[in-house]
Amino acid sequence: MLRWKYSRPLLGVLIILLFAAPFLGNNPLSHPGLQQTMAVAFLYGALALTYDLLFGFTGLLSFGHALFFASGMYLAVLFINHDVLVWWLAVIAAVALSTVLAIIIGSASLRTGGITFAMVTLAFAEAGHVVISRDFGGFTNGENGVALNADKVPSIFIGVFNTKYLFWISLATLVVVYFITWWITESSAGRVFAALRDNETRVAVLGLKPTRFKLLSFVIAAAMASFIGVVMLMVSGSAAPRFASADVTIALLLMVILGGAVTRWGAVIGGIVYSVASTRLQDLSQTTALHSVPKIISGPLSEPAFTLGLLFIFVVMFAPGGFSGAYYALRLRVISKK
Amino acid sequence: MNTLSVKDLHVKINESHILQGVTFEVPAHSVTALLGRNGVGKSTTLKAILGLYPSEGSIELNGQSLSGKLTYKIAQAGIAYVPEDREIFASLTVRENLLLATRNESDLQRQQMVNELFPELVSRSAQRAGTLSGGQQQMVAIARALVNKNEILLIDEPTKGLAPKLVTEVADALGRVAGETTMLLVEQNLPLVKRIAQHIIVMDQGRIVFQGSPEFLHDGEWVHTMLGVSGGHK
Amino acid sequence: MDTFMLIGITGIGLGALYFLVASGLSLIYGLMGVLNFAHGSFLTVGAFVGLWFSTQVVHVSNTWTFIAAMIVGGLASGLFALIVERVVITRLYERHIDQALVTVGISLVVGAVLAGWFGNDLRLLPTPPWFINTVSIGSAHIPVDRFLYIAVALILLIANTALLRYSRIGLVIRAGVENRQMVAALGINVRLAFSAVFFLGGFAAGIGGVLVSAYSNGVSPLIAGTYLIYGFIVVVIGGMGSVPGSFLAAMVIGVIKQYANYYSPGLGDFVVVFLLAGVLLLRPQGLLGKVKP
Repeated sequence: MLRWKYSRPLLGVLIILLFAAPFLGNNPLSHPGLQQTMAVAFLYGALALTYDLLFGFTGLLSFGHALFFASGMYLAVLFINHDVLVWWLAVIAAVALSTVLAIIIGSASLRTGGITFAMVTLAFAEAGHVVISRDFGGFTNGENGVALNADKVPSIFIGVFNTKYLFWISLATLVVVYFITWWITESSAGRVFAALRDNETRVAVLGLKPTRFKLLSFVIAAAMASFIGVVMLMVSGSAAPRFASADVTIALLLMVILGGAVTRWGAVIGGIVYSVASTRLQDLSQTTALHSVPKIISGPLSEPAFTLGLLFIFVVMFAPGGFSGAYYALRLRVISKK
Repeated sequence: MNTLSVKDLHVKINESHILQGVTFEVPAHSVTALLGRNGVGKSTTLKAILGLYPSEGSIELNGQSLSGKLTYKIAQAGIAYVPEDREIFASLTVRENLLLATRNESDLQRQQMVNELFPELVSRSAQRAGTLSGGQQQMVAIARALVNKNEILLIDEPTKGLAPKLVTEVADALGRVAGETTMLLVEQNLPLVKRIAQHIIVMDQGRIVFQGSPEFLHDGEWVHTMLGVSGGHK
Repeated sequence: MDTFMLIGITGIGLGALYFLVASGLSLIYGLMGVLNFAHGSFLTVGAFVGLWFSTQVVHVSNTWTFIAAMIVGGLASGLFALIVERVVITRLYERHIDQALVTVGISLVVGAVLAGWFGNDLRLLPTPPWFINTVSIGSAHIPVDRFLYIAVALILLIANTALLRYSRIGLVIRAGVENRQMVAALGINVRLAFSAVFFLGGFAAGIGGVLVSAYSNGVSPLIAGTYLIYGFIVVVIGGMGSVPGSFLAAMVIGVIKQYANYYSPGLGDFVVVFLLAGVLLLRPQGLLGKVKP
């Protein structure tokens, strides 16, 4: 086994430490600023993991995953703000309706496969993005998005002082999503998913319907994404069209590919690092160090997408396992030397 | 004078070592038949010569090395190929199939020869090749190899899966071509081999096990041991 | 009736722009199986080079300089597409998912480079004076630039069909789609033909980029965004790989979108989504697409 024998106990300790951090006197995580950053990062880690279930474990290259993330977010904020449902029922309803949406879109898209599937899911997701950002029907408030009405949700979700609750909820979401994904990928359905990724014909020969299992994977990933969307609504305080754009799906792809598509922890680390880095890279690009360099070089370097894009191309072409793949290759070498 | 000379050819596909040091020569202006049971590496040998599989060893055409060259360069050097499953372009018309293959459009004499050899293709020139019968498709595949002046023809099981009447037609066509060109023929149909081949090579498990005269094909016991089929005098 | 006419023709004009984006996508996908997310960058590169030509090389703006800008933009974009194909795509031979992923990376890098150099603000693209004129059909006043888009789209459709059907390279491409190895075994450098496909796709996108910039009054690294998405939708509805299908779908979408938007602003996008879903459910191969065996 390539797993390091202390990895699981250490992970447990790390999670407990993270949960306790806001209480442990004066440390970086006792400040709301970093709590907020990390809450967002944990959610992207979880979202990347749901995408990995789809792409890395089932082999479905969907470009529409952001749609379900955004639908959970928008449905929840609309139900809550318009007093349709009490907040916790609104959360359940948002996830349930997003799941129904996923069943419909998944069934339609899975009539195609491979690269066509990517194109079709992209078209659906962009359609959703357009509907949200153009304010069709007057619900979504266009580019400005919809702020969550603070009076309609419990006060522990509101205010800088309560950021630690959001931090905990996000961390808990990540842990729960991780365990659900772990449970699914290790279950018999998960083995079918992996078999579909590797050789679809073999699955069909065994008498299992490939499309049904693909839809299952698609819907589970979408349902989890919509829940993460609801939590993101709490953390960021509003629903905005940028959460529905193809940029989110492309960011998920970057996270999963850079982290390594065939491991769960690779996707999570990819998501967390990407999320933290994209906020930090923005600050870094404003530093004065770049001023001495001519604009023809400093211009692109000040755009985070430049570095990320190049890194992404490099990984796809030369290091398909990403970060976790490289780690396992290294461990394999260490073990075989012993 | 040998046209094609293959020395110590090795082909590995994934983990399996399919050709294990194949060495043989194809003499000029004659027909050499490559024989052997199914799966011993005959088709692989042809494909490796064309560079369709990566290989190790040396392949020379008239003394010029072909090893490591790209497939289209090898074909341009003067090797024509009629693949096992015909591999005609189904969505193209018969005329387009032949036009595609033609490297020198001003060689009218050659086009005339092909037209005389396969009159049926002339009358069907506007038909999509995918809608032709198996025998007609085989004729397109052979005609496609003949439209250019080549040093050697590699032909892989041209009579496979054809009705007996069509086998005769294809065999007649090959018989007429045989007089004018060098040919390396993979074929299971022994009567056809006896009729047109001057040399035979027998392969087994990725190696050459016999090279010599087709006389041996008249010895039933020899055929049975070497090729695993009943044959000889009938 | 006049409004009906006006909206119909502007719809066809919009459809023509969608087609210019979709034709390259469809060509590259249909012939090579590459889902090209870098197509938006082809569009933007063409637009910026067209802008450079119109402002730095020529200093007047008339019909001929605009046509020249279109061609220069198209050539630049075609060349860029060729480089992308040679340097990146061919190294991922037959790995279609990785090819799609790597084009995502390229589009990120190109977007970042252009944004870093020029910023994301819209830069005015000079157009000939007659661009703002209108033509009267009955009593409907139709902006004359729409006819230019339609004409360019038609020319590209015809040129593309003729090239594939009647030229030697078209023959090689059609055969290569069916069986790449056999084309090589006939002594033909099939890779050259596929590079040509990328060049042509890029060329169409570059022309599209200049025209889209003219339509949206300027050039920026962000102009490709919605057009690329509509390009994808057009390709799916028209049938993957069918350029005539893309043309038909682009026209239908352009017209339906304009009528729906006239009826209620914002409705257009919604209707197009329903159309997409309907086509996928009833005819997953698209309007003129072939069913894969």
